[in-house]
Amino acid sequence: MESNLLLSQPTMASHLRALFAIARKDWKQYWRYPLNAVSTVFQPVIWLAPVYFMGKAFSVNGQALGFAQYSGTTDFMSFIILGAVLGNFINAVFWGMGYALKNDMDAGVMESNWLTPIPRLLILVGRSLTNLFVTMVTSLGMLVVCGLIFGFHPTGDVWSAVLAVIPMLIGLYGFGFAFAGLVLIVREANTMVDMSAFLVQIFSGTDFPVTVLPKWLLPIALILPLTYGIDAARGLLLKTDTLLSIRVEVTLLIVFMFIMLWLGSWIFYRIERRVRMLGTLGQH
Amino acid sequence: MTVQSITLTRSLGRPSFLSGLRALWAVMKREWMIFVRYPSWVISLFIWPIIFPLSYVLTAQALSGRDGSGMAQFQAATGVLDITGYIAIGTTIWMWQNVVLWNVGFSLRNEQLRGTLESNWLSPTWRFAYLLGSSAPQLLSMLMFLTVSAIEFVLFLGVRFDGSLWLTLLTILFAVPSIYGLGFAFASLVITLKEANAFVFLVRGIVMIFCGITFPISILPDWMRPIAAWLPQTYIIHAIRSASLSTDGLSAISGDLKALALFGIFWLTIGYLVFNWMERRARRTGAIGQY
Repeated sequence: MESNLLLSQPTMASHLRALFAIARKDWKQYWRYPLNAVSTVFQPVIWLAPVYFMGKAFSVNGQALGFAQYSGTTDFMSFIILGAVLGNFINAVFWGMGYALKNDMDAGVMESNWLTPIPRLLILVGRSLTNLFVTMVTSLGMLVVCGLIFGFHPTGDVWSAVLAVIPMLIGLYGFGFAFAGLVLIVREANTMVDMSAFLVQIFSGTDFPVTVLPKWLLPIALILPLTYGIDAARGLLLKTDTLLSIRVEVTLLIVFMFIMLWLGSWIFYRIERRVRMLGTLGQH
Repeated sequence: MTVQSITLTRSLGRPSFLSGLRALWAVMKREWMIFVRYPSWVISLFIWPIIFPLSYVLTAQALSGRDGSGMAQFQAATGVLDITGYIAIGTTIWMWQNVVLWNVGFSLRNEQLRGTLESNWLSPTWRFAYLLGSSAPQLLSMLMFLTVSAIEFVLFLGVRFDGSLWLTLLTILFAVPSIYGLGFAFASLVITLKEANAFVFLVRGIVMIFCGITFPISILPDWMRPIAAWLPQTYIIHAIRSASLSTDGLSAISGDLKALALFGIFWLTIGYLVFNWMERRARRTGAIGQY
């Protein structure tokens, strides 16, 4: 008997169930290795330690006066800690979305997941949910630990800073779709993910004010929407000098958010179609 | 036709010194093929040496201020004049140890994840060859990495290597046993303890905090300095800085070299012993294929 009908009946409810199943699977897997979870809180502390000790040698009575000439604040540790928190989300998108597909390839489950009757983008969104939640929790933990060890002194409005960061994060996850597409075609994702995440963090100024960059590198920082997100968050929370007015920076972030969501999913579907045509989805 | 049954009392394998060497060579060849199979290593080779130190160099520049007043303060506090070269060497040694932990340290764990460790373990070969064979191509690629790093520091960061090339090479030679011995011990532990990422973060974190990759050890609080003295990377970083950036000669690094020789013997022995312990334990518990 021949049938042209697909046996599956995808509905909104079935999509939501799939989304929940993916997020739950990632959640279980994440907590299966509890030491890794603890290390995500403490790892940024380790990264910040060399900067902390180096910064002490540049300071007089705990005040980094030189740093204030670039940023408008002498509290360089609060500046860098906030950058590190937002950098966590950049890392989460690169590693959580990009590298998640590579892990599926290595484990040999990529092809079978792809054969399920759910939109491919839904798989990526599902992978991001746990990732986003875990990053929020660990970032809060990190903020507390770093605050205790190095000192974190917000002087501005916390909620305004959080609101300003939301369009940046959504746009970032849109960018993650495109990046996941790239992983599908390049396959050897480790180097690409590691390097891209690091470069994006350098150029968006997570560790220093981007005005320190040489003139020929500064345009790269200025075309990255993340630069404005991080800058606006610092301006609102730490009252640092900003590149543009905060209103303009937030408007730019909202525009970029829509562009990145559309462009990211468009690129992902184009590459995914190409990979299916080549039949290389299961290769790694 | 009668079927004759033969009872085997001995393994069909005939392990000898030569078969051990052949196995080692086979593992090295396999690792090298995997390494060159993914051309992204070429990008890593040229990009990482410059971007990793750059992040700290730019932070130092921001701390200096537009008028350089912060730098004057740093120089007065630490006596370090060329902070770019200072940071570049410290971060490069950290990257070396980091890559060894990820590559050599993960060599057995990756086999475990792929499901090939158990079958490899059943072959009648010298098992330490799996670990040693993974390290040789890694060492070769790291020597390329260190060379490219030095060239890029001169070209892009303006670092001046006024010291001696031969003393620098001698220090690197003394550094190898400590760095790879630690990698061997690490590789053996993670296939038993599983949570490899967390352990890499811990070990490289200790190096990052205590060994002074971006600042002199003298800045550390009193209670932290003795810990730095027990880490071979502290001596590697100090000796390579001294050998390559200054003209102080052999006498300035002889103490570091002696310490590195002792650390090298210690870590290679520990690496081998931990591997043997893990190997016996894995056979007894049957846990080698689990992940």
